[in-house]
Amino acid sequence: MGLDNQRKFGAIQEVRRGFQDVGYVCSTQIATTLYLAHHLQKPILVEGPAGVGKTELAKAAAAYLDRPLIRLQCYEGLDESKALYEWKYGKQLLYTQILKDKLADLLEGTEGLADALARVHQYDDIFFSERFLAPRPLLLALQEKEGAVLLVDEVDRSDPEFEAFLLEVLSDFQVSVPELGTIHAVSRPYVFLTSNNTREMSEALKRRCLHLYIPFPDARLEREIVRVRAPGVPERLRAQLVGFVQQLRGLDLKKVPSVSETIDWARVLMILNARDLGPDVIRDTLNILLKFEADIEMVEGRLGEMAQKVVR
Amino acid sequence: MEQVLCNLVVALRGSGVRISPSETMDALAAASLVGFQERGVLRDALSVALAKSRTEKEIFTDCFDRFFSPDGFSTPGATPPLAADAAPNETDSPLSQMLLEGDRAGLSMAMREAADQADIAGITFFTQKRLYIQRILRGMGVDGLDRDILRLSREDQETSPQTVGALKIGREFLFEQVRDFVERQYALYAASAQEAIMDRYLRHMKLSNLEQRDYERMHRIIQRMVKSFNDTHSRRKKGARRGLLDLKKTLRENLAYQGLIFEPRWRARKIDRPDMAVLCDVSRSVEAVSRFMLLFLYSLNEELAKIRSFIFCSNMAEVSYIFDAYPVEEALMRLQRGTGLGVDLGRTDYGQAFRDFKEKWLEKIGRRTTVLILGDARNNYGAPETGILGLIHKRARRVIWLNPESPPFWGTGDSEMRRYLPFCTLARECSSVHHLERVVCFLVRNT
Repeated sequence: MGLDNQRKFGAIQEVRRGFQDVGYVCSTQIATTLYLAHHLQKPILVEGPAGVGKTELAKAAAAYLDRPLIRLQCYEGLDESKALYEWKYGKQLLYTQILKDKLADLLEGTEGLADALARVHQYDDIFFSERFLAPRPLLLALQEKEGAVLLVDEVDRSDPEFEAFLLEVLSDFQVSVPELGTIHAVSRPYVFLTSNNTREMSEALKRRCLHLYIPFPDARLEREIVRVRAPGVPERLRAQLVGFVQQLRGLDLKKVPSVSETIDWARVLMILNARDLGPDVIRDTLNILLKFEADIEMVEGRLGEMAQKVVR
Repeated sequence: MEQVLCNLVVALRGSGVRISPSETMDALAAASLVGFQERGVLRDALSVALAKSRTEKEIFTDCFDRFFSPDGFSTPGATPPLAADAAPNETDSPLSQMLLEGDRAGLSMAMREAADQADIAGITFFTQKRLYIQRILRGMGVDGLDRDILRLSREDQETSPQTVGALKIGREFLFEQVRDFVERQYALYAASAQEAIMDRYLRHMKLSNLEQRDYERMHRIIQRMVKSFNDTHSRRKKGARRGLLDLKKTLRENLAYQGLIFEPRWRARKIDRPDMAVLCDVSRSVEAVSRFMLLFLYSLNEELAKIRSFIFCSNMAEVSYIFDAYPVEEALMRLQRGTGLGVDLGRTDYGQAFRDFKEKWLEKIGRRTTVLILGDARNNYGAPETGILGLIHKRARRVIWLNPESPPFWGTGDSEMRRYLPFCTLARECSSVHHLERVVCFLVRNT
């Protein structure tokens, strides 16, 4: 497995081709980052506008490496018990009830309280062993034998405390469980953190990560993405629809269309059997690209000229 | 190569990118992984390791391009004009030989080595340029070149005059290239150092003495300050979020465990979000300062969710919505001119302003509200209405007055500051960013 990965990350172009094979078209910047992250064994903090394929990147990495993807979705109030581990209280309780009778046998022949306690002490750790530990995503990722791809999604939504807690996991790939001690990663996971920049991440976290900013792709890259993700769209239409979306991104919209919406649109146009991008087709399908009434109204006003520009 | 990357880091730090030593190590590791063959790949790799936000990436790209820009030696066409019959073998010093042979790569290498020796990254002031030029020239061995010129001009062999001529031209050329190089390095390293000095200087400068061109920089300083204020503030609040034990909920949740209490449940404590009302004087007497007060207000607005802003002169108007609707420049202009806001820019009347406030907004002031008043309290001898300020003081959590005048002037002439003082939790002079910072510190400590 290790050797296999060394080969997979042999060169930047190799990474790029490999990701293309699993359906993710990446720029040189992204490929370079993936390459470095593997060799430096550092997490990647991915930022960029919504819908440019940040989460998709992690999924593609899991597919490329042929490792399980373990995903941790962050939200306000996320804490260790949801992210790292929790004791199975119910099971512990049930077992103490079942084993109640055994206790009498166990304590047979002991004299005095101190003696009994000493004997119980020999067994005291059994209820706080891994058998009663419910691992959550972070611990799961560390325990995975062959290594995993860990995706900490939208880390900017979590609280600063949780962010601080992540630091230990990200820098040393280990976690401390008070009852069990420190658990080290069996094999280092490949970590992605994504952020939509709703708040600035702390310096400490950024320092431990490689920072990748994914902007909206340029026309050439986006055409390539549509080609891979929506095969079957004729080349002419592909160029036209990408040109139109690129124009939309230049407008002052409430929400600009993302790459995933471009792909959806391409698929819809294919189903509708559109050959050329005329104003009528665009008007009928505009709600796939734009999600605000005000945006749609604004674009409809100038549909004619925009369509003309791309058809030419 | 390490030295080169470290110099790049110095240049980046100077331009405002924060880079820690561990990140420098990452960059070194990344660079040795991808190699120096492809410029684009190297740039991507370093950018990933060093620049950690979108703005930092932009600064990085700019810095990288300038840092690895070709010097005069490597641009074709800039070869020293050579005399065809000059004889390199007559000279002793390697520098003269390189010049006569037109070895541009060698010259470029020698110059960069000499520059590293001279610690070019340390250049801070433009007055140091000459010093660095001399140091680099000396490092490249210009003394040997001079000796060659001197020796050859004394000897009278056949080729000597041409060689001497070529060497002299070469020396001129060399000086020019080194000067250009130092110029560029100065722009790279010193611009940043200057920036830091400028920031420090602006902090202590009186707000009323600032010039138009400094506004932009000031906005950034204030923004940074407000942000740090808010960061500290909100973090403290979250730490104390868990409240008392919620007995009812605990019993309910733990029924499943035969009523044994395994998982205690806690009451959530209400988060005490900063709630602020800011009253800002925009009259002519405080004109020079009010712009900065408004700037401060604008930055506060960007950071705090619950803030109501008012401006007053002859009367008072609420302007909270202006901050959301317009970008900073336009918002400030609108606020200062008061057009279409319902504020009358006649004689300053604190009395009227307070009466307006009492009538329309006093209800909104609760025991969690901090009231911040920015003004010089010069009331043109009108009724000061201290009673209303007293009312506000009673309702609000605290009243803070920031006055651009220094305390000895309070209460002189038409200033009513002394009469307002008893109703202020805190009254401070505030005429520079430094003062503002102190007030902000106070606010954070006491929440």
